[in-house]
Amino acid sequence: MTDTLLFIVLPYLAVFACIFGSIYRIKKEPLTYSSLSSQFLENHGLMWGSLPWHLGILLILLAHLFAFLFPGFWQTITSNQILLLAIEAIGFSLSILCLIGLVILSIRRLTSPRIQAVTTPMDLLVIALLLAQVGLGAAIAIHCKWGSAWCSGTTTPYLWSLLLFQPNLNFIEDLPVLVKAHITCAWLFILIIPFSRLVHLFAVPIEYLFRPPQNVVWNNSRKTSKVSSTFVKEETRRHFLSAGLGIGFGAFLLSIGAFNKVFNFFFGPRLSKAEETELMEVRLAHLESTVDQRKLELERQASNYILIAQMKDLNPTSGKYFIDYQMQPAIAFKGKDGYPLLISAKCTHLGCTVGNKVDAQGRILCPCHVSYFNIETGQPNAEAPAKAPLGHLPWVIMNDHGEIMASRNQNGQTSCSVQPDALASGRVYISKRLEEKTT
Amino acid sequence: MSLNSILNSTFQFIKERFPVEKLNYHSMVEKKEVPVHKMSWGYYTGGLTMFFFMIQVITGLFLLFYYQPTVSEANVSVEYINKYVAGGSLIRNMHAWSSSCMIFCAVVHLLTAFAMKSFVKPREITWIAGVLLLFITFTFGFTGYLLPWNQIAVNATKVGLQSIEYIGEYLPGQLADIPRIIRETFQGEASVGQSTLGRFYALHVVILPLALSSLLGLHLISVQIHGMSQGVDKPAKKSEKFMSIFIFKDLSLWAFIFLCLFTVSLCVPFDSFLPYPLLAPFNPLGSTPAGIKPEWYFFFVYYPLELLPFWVILLASMAVVGVLIFTPWIFKGTSRKTLGFITILASLYLVVMTVFGEQIYELFKH
Repeated sequence: MTDTLLFIVLPYLAVFACIFGSIYRIKKEPLTYSSLSSQFLENHGLMWGSLPWHLGILLILLAHLFAFLFPGFWQTITSNQILLLAIEAIGFSLSILCLIGLVILSIRRLTSPRIQAVTTPMDLLVIALLLAQVGLGAAIAIHCKWGSAWCSGTTTPYLWSLLLFQPNLNFIEDLPVLVKAHITCAWLFILIIPFSRLVHLFAVPIEYLFRPPQNVVWNNSRKTSKVSSTFVKEETRRHFLSAGLGIGFGAFLLSIGAFNKVFNFFFGPRLSKAEETELMEVRLAHLESTVDQRKLELERQASNYILIAQMKDLNPTSGKYFIDYQMQPAIAFKGKDGYPLLISAKCTHLGCTVGNKVDAQGRILCPCHVSYFNIETGQPNAEAPAKAPLGHLPWVIMNDHGEIMASRNQNGQTSCSVQPDALASGRVYISKRLEEKTT
Repeated sequence: MSLNSILNSTFQFIKERFPVEKLNYHSMVEKKEVPVHKMSWGYYTGGLTMFFFMIQVITGLFLLFYYQPTVSEANVSVEYINKYVAGGSLIRNMHAWSSSCMIFCAVVHLLTAFAMKSFVKPREITWIAGVLLLFITFTFGFTGYLLPWNQIAVNATKVGLQSIEYIGEYLPGQLADIPRIIRETFQGEASVGQSTLGRFYALHVVILPLALSSLLGLHLISVQIHGMSQGVDKPAKKSEKFMSIFIFKDLSLWAFIFLCLFTVSLCVPFDSFLPYPLLAPFNPLGSTPAGIKPEWYFFFVYYPLELLPFWVILLASMAVVGVLIFTPWIFKGTSRKTLGFITILASLYLVVMTVFGEQIYELFKH
């Protein structure tokens, strides 16, 4: 019974009263067809209250209207979880914005003596109802979550049934009290539109925002000195609006994305097992190469010979990198004479590491400043920025028992105690003794 | 000249540059006015440089949470930031983009201040502090370049450090050893390695920021004490209050620039202009990959260095540094017209060398 009264009788009554009341008012009292402006009475509170309130409520009302007009499309977008989350978050934030604006407006209306002078009981009723209605909306967003999604099956068809004159209460009779109160309140609003300042809904004062600033001139003498400041304040309204929109949009972006990222940046990633394993492997590989590097350094301190390669692995055109006793890079080739050819790889120009591929003229290239070095002589080409030749390194070849089969000293003299064919099984070393002799 | 008169003139010099009676909020902020004329945009370049420095500090602090300055971990930790940390690639990208922007703005600031003749008495200290700030900013770039420990970073640092040693060849006798000692001090070991990374890290993260902040404090205080320089020959008819008209204009410019920086950092990885082999982890056992070069803001000295004999560059850069530092006295009597002409020439050189340096190099070398 109550339901029928509130959700069928009241709506038709309200819409009827709204339509005819509005038409009556515009015919009889066209000049009152707006809200009574109080801006010249009090501007500060109005600015901080009216702006957030209107910004918030306009968007919320548009969303309500949209969900009603395009139920199919609305259902599609709210069935996407992320979009639903975004819609709910935006809607709730906007309702908070509305509430803040409303509270400031009510405080202003209740405390400013000038505003009090022009306040009618209807204004107070409107503001109380608005507070209740927005409060209910926000409460629904908290207690009956995902309203933007469930409205497609409940309130939207209910409204459509009213519109098509086939009222059907089945859609909403099981809804929580909060929602029912919200709906009732909405009908009450429609009912009082023609009798209150809410009628400005039909006379949307959009041009008000863009009209040229108006100068309010007070005729009583005590105000004349402040005329110019009024002028400036009038002008600031539009700047304030654009700044407000900008800041609002920025804050919105920030709240959605950046804060989340910043927090998660410090929270740190939570890796999956596979990712963690992969990362560990990469770390381990890097650590192992560092360990190898350190071992090499230690080996240089401790041992007299450092293994470079198996003799059979050496190649005349593609060298093998190694690190010499001075911790500088060097390359090992197989020379034309069949013996190893060890050459420093630290470019004599600016210290880049020279490449290990020999070109047709028997040269290796330093890619940094394009110097070609002949591997036999170590000499750079004539135009090269490098002037000094790359040095050759002495070496020894030992067999598996550590017996020296062949060696070359710092001056390039080679001695060999076995048949050259037998060298293939040997290992090539650099020797601390041989390097120290000359330095 | 007696000791007494030297002391007196020194005190007089300091007194004129730091007038005590102006060291208060009223004359440093409230009373300050910014002239409005067609070169007014120059007044924004310094603030913008500082803004980028602030971004560097903040994003740098963010990166400190994850970066590890060891040869085995450095590259992995940078990869970790890029790949796994929420917003990590954005932060790192912002750090990289903003570093370039900071250097660009600092150079533009120097050029405009020069053209507007903002260095004459009593602003000599401001100018010198500014020049030193620019050098520190470049050092920031050089030290920061090594930290990701990839091929291009380590090899470019090797070349850069080796160039210092080259200076020794032009010094006589015992002095010839000094550049080598300097290089080894910065390098810390025989080749660029862990010691180098540690030193560069300490410089980049602690020492340079401290040095820059303190010099910046001096720079800003002297700017506020003496107010904005006139900037043009005829005193501007209009001016605006520093507080709070200019400062709000400054802030809105910063906000806009931040939006641009954020968008660019979000969309364009700073590394995307380099081929991957250069960004691979540094491998001590391998050839230097082709295409090693410094950051773009060193091109103006790098390409000439490739083309001309070393001593030419050495003399030229010593001359430039000397002129920069003594500008307030050298150009004391020069007209703004001449200064503007010099500035245009210098900007042309910088732009051409930075943008077309590689083509010029190819043209002469091949």
